[in-house]
Amino acid sequence: MTRLACFYVPMFVLAARLRSEPDLLNEAVGIVEGNGSNAHIVAATRRARKKGIQPGQSLAQARSLLPKLIARGRDAECERTAQEALLEVAETFSPRVEDAGEGVVFLDVTGMERHFADDPGNAGVSPAADAEVRLARAALRACDAISLPARVGIAASKLAARVAAELPKSPIVVAPGEEATFLAPLPLTRLSPELEAAAMLQRFGLASIGDLAKLPESEIASRLGEVGRELHWAARGIDPRPLMPRPLPPEFREGMELEWPLVALEPFLFIANAALDRLSKRMEIQGFACKRLEFTLTLDPEGYDARGIDLPAPTRDVKTMLTLMRLDLEKTPPGAPVVGFSFVAHPDRPRRAQLSLFGPSAVSPEKLATTIAKLVSILGDGRVGMPMTVDGHLPERYSINVFSPPPPPDMKRTPARARGLLAVRTFRPPIPIEVTTREAEGDDVQIASIRSIADQNSDTRQPTPDTRRRVEAGAKVEIGGTVRICSGPWRIEEGWWSDRPDIREYWDVELERGGVYRVFRGGATEWFVDARYEM
Amino acid sequence: MAVLARRLATQFQLLEAPAILKPAVPPQVVESEALRNLRATLEASIASKLTSGSELVRAVARQRRDEILPTTIPPLDALLGGGLARGKMTEIAGRGTRFSIVIATLAAATSIGEAAALIDASDSFDPQLAEAAGVDLRRLLWVRPHTMKETVTAAEMTGATGFQLVIIDMGSRRPPGRRVPDAAWVRLARVAESHGATILVSAPYALTGTTSEAMILAYAPRPRWLGRGNAPRVLAGVETKLKLEKHRRLRPGQTTTVFFQCEEAVGSTQASVMTIPTADTRQPTARAKAS
Repeated sequence: MTRLACFYVPMFVLAARLRSEPDLLNEAVGIVEGNGSNAHIVAATRRARKKGIQPGQSLAQARSLLPKLIARGRDAECERTAQEALLEVAETFSPRVEDAGEGVVFLDVTGMERHFADDPGNAGVSPAADAEVRLARAALRACDAISLPARVGIAASKLAARVAAELPKSPIVVAPGEEATFLAPLPLTRLSPELEAAAMLQRFGLASIGDLAKLPESEIASRLGEVGRELHWAARGIDPRPLMPRPLPPEFREGMELEWPLVALEPFLFIANAALDRLSKRMEIQGFACKRLEFTLTLDPEGYDARGIDLPAPTRDVKTMLTLMRLDLEKTPPGAPVVGFSFVAHPDRPRRAQLSLFGPSAVSPEKLATTIAKLVSILGDGRVGMPMTVDGHLPERYSINVFSPPPPPDMKRTPARARGLLAVRTFRPPIPIEVTTREAEGDDVQIASIRSIADQNSDTRQPTPDTRRRVEAGAKVEIGGTVRICSGPWRIEEGWWSDRPDIREYWDVELERGGVYRVFRGGATEWFVDARYEM
Repeated sequence: MAVLARRLATQFQLLEAPAILKPAVPPQVVESEALRNLRATLEASIASKLTSGSELVRAVARQRRDEILPTTIPPLDALLGGGLARGKMTEIAGRGTRFSIVIATLAAATSIGEAAALIDASDSFDPQLAEAAGVDLRRLLWVRPHTMKETVTAAEMTGATGFQLVIIDMGSRRPPGRRVPDAAWVRLARVAESHGATILVSAPYALTGTTSEAMILAYAPRPRWLGRGNAPRVLAGVETKLKLEKHRRLRPGQTTTVFFQCEEAVGSTQASVMTIPTADTRQPTARAKAS
């Protein structure tokens, strides 16, 4: 038999708002719908209700009862994200989940209770307790983790599960085949509070669902029509509506409408931090990490500012995402006060690795992703990554890619002896120089002296001890002087098929004052130093 | 349980295989009661080889920290007592061939499967040459900071992430920005200690002060050319003198000379790394060996 569970969040409008603003949890808060004189209370916290605030009252009435009432408007963004979070929790219990809207979710839990047969977290449950109760309690804990005070009911039909979830003593599990018995003592309004037919039946003198179930179906149908027939079925625990599972969402969304426009960055980031934290927890539940973060700012008085941040590696680190967001906003401010925001995280599977006991220890993929994202946020794009060689002939060619190291070997190895190659320090970009040449054998040219163009006005005398000390202490290195030994040229040609082929002639030159440089001639008169042999 | 342990005694021979763990993992002083009781029921020869999983993990972690990472440049390794100490910070300062040593160390670490980070403050790393020198670029994280502060921050972050080798190369001049306080180097040394990372700082002048385990001074190098007179010249390589300026376990003052050859001149010289012994090269003292 199919077993369905229902997650129900009472006063969902209020719960969604308190989830975004947990500081208001112990305050007298009323959620208001409508503007001006039409503004009326749709939900209120326990503290406000104790003072007489009830749904349906106008805001003026509520204020007269409780002047210190904190009024908050309905926030569609908060409600949407809270509903998404509730659905995501449901998806951790079953792959078949139906979104019934407004804090109600149905899920197919047939056979799922077996996973909770030995749940250590339910030590207080008696051995005779049903496995489904354990499942329901686990669901309650999961909902608490995302700051939604949900109730859970489990039954064979959606209607019975919904009614069980609406009852205050949660969780309630209706045994298979006992739906009618469960519903019988409950008032008729539990069946369908919004239908007038239920009120009419009460006027007939029918007080409970059980009273309705005892009447003949044809008699009810002849008086109330198709609605009456459906109500009679519902009273007998029959609900023919099937579960309609929703597809998995491709993205995670969080957002909020602000009470007042924000102009400064810090207050916005303070609120964004909480929203990103919620987003991160939701992704953690599903085992995802954020690969791309998109955020849309609602501007005052009108307009939107939409942006996107590509993370270097999937991560759930809130600090990293917040830092990237801060840098993006500091770089290009929105240009108008912000009155709302919406964050969309595109999920991806976090990197995984198998750790080795005897080989070199692997870097934790999660920590690595976070570190790289932080480094990118500090240093900028293209400054962190895995170096890569590029096919070609020019010595300065390189590219930088996403750092994703292969797993280390299972066993430790001994490093081979070094090749002992002399390293060069590359100048990026090459430094333009002025060169004097002398004739050599054949058509070759030998370099007599070099001098960087930026240093033309500087003194080219031999370096004094003071100069050396200055260089060692970090002053700019001057390139220039008489060439002692010159070696070359070596010719390189790349892109001969293009309109502007790169033809270069390279020399290695040792200066009288010290240092060996790699010099090249790019055109007829353009000379550059592109590297210094490590000295 | 005891019978089972006796039967499995041969299994513990694996621990003595040099390829897996050497030396054999000694029992911890702090042991659980169950393990103590079990050891008490066994013969002494078997009980000494009995190790719990948690003890084994701790011993492997401790052993890793006690190891050294060879630079694979024999004269330099001899100077440092085998190589760079893991969990410590080593510094190479001066005008010598520091970057060639950096590349060789990167090649040594990445070739055995370890993850390495190069904090390249001068943005002068050449991936082509590094690959030719044996660096496994897939295991190398290349970070190019702009300032001194970013350089130290990046090193601290990568060290704390779990990179086995972190190299800071300052280039031939100090990066822009203010000097970092000495406390930053203390913090970096603690990161190396707590995460077992090997940190190598290459700078034109001494930076780390007392926080480094060892400091090598690289003297101004001398280039060597092939060809004489009017014959075409080819740069053969560069010879540089290294001096152990400071070491916490070895007597300082020893010197050696290393030769790095140009890629174009490979095959023209007799050996890939030519060692030229000097008169004042001394072996490590007995006290240093014992420690």
